[in-house]
Amino acid sequence: MIVTELKPLDEIFDSIFPYRRILIAGCDGCTQPPRGMREAETLKQLLELAGRKKGKEFEFKVTSVVKQCDSVLTTSALKPHIEGIEAVLSLACGIGPQMVAELFPELVVLPAQNTHFMGEEDREGGIMETRCIGCGDCILTLMGGICPHTRCSKSLLNGACGGARNGKCELSQERDCAWELIFTRLEKLGKLDNIREYRPPRDYQVKAWRLKP
Amino acid sequence: MTEAVTEERLAVKVDEEQCSRCSICRSLCPYDAISKEAGTGKTLLDIAKCQVCGICYSACPSRAIDIIYYDLDSLLSYLESAKKKSASQALVIMCKGSAPDFAEVGRLFGVSDFIPLSVPCVGRVPDEVFLTAMGMGINKIYVLACDEDYCRFVRGSPLAGRRIFALNRMLEQLGYGKEAITLRRNSLKVKVNKDLCIACGNCVYYCPYHAPKLESEGGISIDLDLCRGCGLCVVMCPAFALELEHWERERLSALVPQLLSEMKPPKLVVFRCQWAFFPPLDGKLNPNIRAIDVPCAARVDPIHILDAFQQGADGVLVAACAEEDCKQEKAGGRAQRLVEKLNERLSQIGYQDRLYFCSIAPRHGDGFDKELQEFSQKIKGMAKGGKK
Repeated sequence: MIVTELKPLDEIFDSIFPYRRILIAGCDGCTQPPRGMREAETLKQLLELAGRKKGKEFEFKVTSVVKQCDSVLTTSALKPHIEGIEAVLSLACGIGPQMVAELFPELVVLPAQNTHFMGEEDREGGIMETRCIGCGDCILTLMGGICPHTRCSKSLLNGACGGARNGKCELSQERDCAWELIFTRLEKLGKLDNIREYRPPRDYQVKAWRLKP
Repeated sequence: MTEAVTEERLAVKVDEEQCSRCSICRSLCPYDAISKEAGTGKTLLDIAKCQVCGICYSACPSRAIDIIYYDLDSLLSYLESAKKKSASQALVIMCKGSAPDFAEVGRLFGVSDFIPLSVPCVGRVPDEVFLTAMGMGINKIYVLACDEDYCRFVRGSPLAGRRIFALNRMLEQLGYGKEAITLRRNSLKVKVNKDLCIACGNCVYYCPYHAPKLESEGGISIDLDLCRGCGLCVVMCPAFALELEHWERERLSALVPQLLSEMKPPKLVVFRCQWAFFPPLDGKLNPNIRAIDVPCAARVDPIHILDAFQQGADGVLVAACAEEDCKQEKAGGRAQRLVEKLNERLSQIGYQDRLYFCSIAPRHGDGFDKELQEFSQKIKGMAKGGKK
């Protein structure tokens, strides 16, 4: 899933301050939890409370889109609500506000989320962990299913660096050494030869910016 | 609230004089809370282990065990004063665990005017209450009990069924008609609005009882036999697609402003797990405090806490059972995390130190009062500090 977190509320408040009639647009898509109606409604309540403290009154409308990255779905979901609206506060990942800006050029679009990475969730602890940066050159086949781009603090493609202690990274005692994980896993699979081969540094220049998959 | 609490009020007591030392209670207690004193044979109760289920109370042949929540004198004096105030000849006795609000209970039985008696478990209500009520001029008693499988008070619900059967036979012979007491079973269940469901799977993960399932054609289905009505999925649903029957979001959202309009400042609102505290029947309302008893701490919803602040609450307290006492699955811990998370957000907008969490247990009759006292002092202190 795409991992986002709500921006600090004072930052959101400052961004909406110049406007009065605001549409809070949730997104039911890929985040966990989905920033749908519940998040939108909760944010509305919080911003109204904040406004009361600071003597500012807003008129909020609240809705949610199935996927804000989809132009058809976003147009049909937002259109019925935008009459009289000055600004749209989007609860989607970084793609959502851009889509809304493109579809409704007359409206101010403000993001409510900071988008971090694509990751995996430990729901019990409510913790999200990075798993993918979208490098465009997946090497999980060779790495026994463990991504060194995201899981090694140094993003080394030829590990290990030698700094790990008791399986933990020297930069953070909470973080597993990705290269130890890769080594153990490949050893178990009998495929240690996979990491004999030198891997050149990631080439940032060839990354696709447009695709027709 | 104003009185200083001097001695702990324990919910369960063993009367040594009456105890025949038969040990039936000890053999039945599922929590190992009862033991026999070596040498004397005295019955000892370890209140820390007790869950106030009342099986010992039901089973004691010598009536040596007392539970404050079923104390005959207080139940009867409640009935007497309620009868004086009401012209109704119907009494409804209901389990807290299965009962919606009084209006809905009335609708379930098709009676509009009745005397309500809400107890932790109807299976523990002494026979005298039924018989005395009939003697007082009540001609119809309705009993709302939990479904047998959902009883949280060890065999209380099946016992209610057997007792009412026997009482009805007796009342019939005494000329009170064929079915003087009507028993109905009910359990709180979740319901899905398929139009709102976004098939995210949150409920599937969070449900401790594996009741919801994701369907291949999209959306979810819920196995209601597995659902235990805690309401966790409702709070975790990002799309408002789930509701706990009779405890709908809108219904609670409407209740909050109604309660706050009755209150005087400083206004303190409590969201309380119904299993964590059993309010006294003749409890007087403090104009500063209103409590909303939710079916489980899992149903405490940030939306309603924010509703309370929006309607002018000065402080909100969430009172839950400790994890080890939880009648559902670890709901208390979840409620605590929810409060922490919401507090983080509230402090960003200048509403810090207004929302608190506490865990309490009905084994201590005054546990809640102590927490409430502490909480109201914090809020009152804050209100004063803010005026400087």
